[in-house]
Amino acid sequence: MKKILSVFMLLAAASVLAVCAQAQVIVIANPSVKADVITKNDLRGVFTGNAITLKDGSQVVPILLRDGAAHEEFLLAYIGKDDAAYRAGWRSILFSGQGMMPKTLDSEAAVVEVVKHTAGAIGYIERTTPHEGVKVLAVR
Amino acid sequence: MKKVFRRSLAAGMLVALTVAISLHGQEIKLGNQAVQVHGFGTQGLIYTNDNNWLTMNTSAGSVKFTDVGLNLGSQISRKVRAAAQGYDRSLGQLGKWHPQFDFYMLDVRPKPWLGFRGGKVKTVLGLYTDTQDMDFDHTFALLPQSIYPIDMRDSSIAHVGGDIYGTERLAHNLGSLTYTAYGGHRSDSKYSGYPYLLTNIAPGVHIYLTSYSGPVYGGDLRWNTPVPGLTVGVSRQNEDISGVGTLSIPAAGVSGVPYNEKSFQDWTNWFYGKYTKNRLHIEAEDKRYYQAKDIFSSTAWFYADTRGWYVSGGFRINKWLEAGSYYSHYRIFIGGADLVANGPALNFNYTDPQKRDNDKVVTAKITFNQYVTLKVEGHFMAGNGLATYPDGFYTSVNPLGLADNTNALIVRTGFNF
Repeated sequence: MKKILSVFMLLAAASVLAVCAQAQVIVIANPSVKADVITKNDLRGVFTGNAITLKDGSQVVPILLRDGAAHEEFLLAYIGKDDAAYRAGWRSILFSGQGMMPKTLDSEAAVVEVVKHTAGAIGYIERTTPHEGVKVLAVR
Repeated sequence: MKKVFRRSLAAGMLVALTVAISLHGQEIKLGNQAVQVHGFGTQGLIYTNDNNWLTMNTSAGSVKFTDVGLNLGSQISRKVRAAAQGYDRSLGQLGKWHPQFDFYMLDVRPKPWLGFRGGKVKTVLGLYTDTQDMDFDHTFALLPQSIYPIDMRDSSIAHVGGDIYGTERLAHNLGSLTYTAYGGHRSDSKYSGYPYLLTNIAPGVHIYLTSYSGPVYGGDLRWNTPVPGLTVGVSRQNEDISGVGTLSIPAAGVSGVPYNEKSFQDWTNWFYGKYTKNRLHIEAEDKRYYQAKDIFSSTAWFYADTRGWYVSGGFRINKWLEAGSYYSHYRIFIGGADLVANGPALNFNYTDPQKRDNDKVVTAKITFNQYVTLKVEGHFMAGNGLATYPDGFYTSVNPLGLADNTNALIVRTGFNF
């Protein structure tokens, strides 16, 4: 019994450490986006295709990562879906004729470049990824 | 049946996996313009213990349950988008691999609260009319047939005309409203449920429609409420549909006599709600479709009042597995002048299997990855609708009559990219 408890506690500790070691994701935007703060609801609306503007009226364009730790963390923290369900939601918008799939990029460096050069673009990256030329939005 | 099922399922999944992995949602260049290319497809098997269902020979197991779609779209400028989608299917005696456009349109959205779509446009009606083929996005292999009859897909999927639409935030953090208003023309394929029904409308009586079409207009208003994940809405549609064709009654020596019909009341009321939180989703919809029409070149009248509703729920157990269930309730009232004046008869027999179909469903959905899904679903149906109305059970494929109840097993695999 003691051995089982020890193993369990070790596993629990490992899980906590793993969570701490995961990417800390930040939301970045093109400097043309006026807002400095974005609500979770607004973020969710934009990245699920339900909204094309923020509360201040800025029209925004979501930029996605194809996969990776930052992508997974963003979905978990702000969308509440796993990747398959998330992509399925966008494809429903696409196949119903109501929109297009957002630009999806293979690397965080590419996300920074596109966000930097696209008016209204908004994306997400790891906090430690270099991101000169874009602004960071606080999420509340 | 087992061998056919295994081969078809294996083939369907192999094709799905190969296509999805290889295509991965392509973007191609036409001159300087980027064009996105996406697609989807499904292959299913239906087996019923009694009655043949949805024009298939399901009592022996049928794999005539296939559809595919291909989508092209391009963002021409920040506010202008062009898109088109082709679709084809084989559903028993319906579709028969006659491809059609689901939509082709230009979308101009100068403001978030004001956009315009023109061309052939998918119709926004209830929660899922415009996404009913998106098998990958639904928990269930078949959406509730009381509301989304797969054999009558053509009747509501799209219209040629235009939409005005938009989304507006409400003050005081009351969420947002999304509206759509549309007008145009509907034209059903002759390979859809109603024309098929008429080919054997009664023993020895055959009507062959060459067109079934007319003007359609309506709207949808949905409230994305301040409760995260809760959406409620209402849709309304009015139509004026005419059918033209020929009538044959071989035993009476009647052949090729002109036939026409025209609706003089034709409307749909639709209420719906959906709640999603993390792994759980719950939906409910209520739809009433009323049609009164002249038939047989105005020598007779037919009235049908169909009422359906369902409640459904699904729960994602883990990354790969989701379980779901729904109860679907369907009634059809038919009659003559008294229905128009007084509504359904007070002595309507609610237990008559002809005129009702209640369906209890359980589903398991397996998501292999973002491209490929597999569903296994059981249906337990009490009732069989009405033999002279296109609601799933057709006498053409049930020549010995219809049993009161039907149990069905559906296995359906799908891919999308």
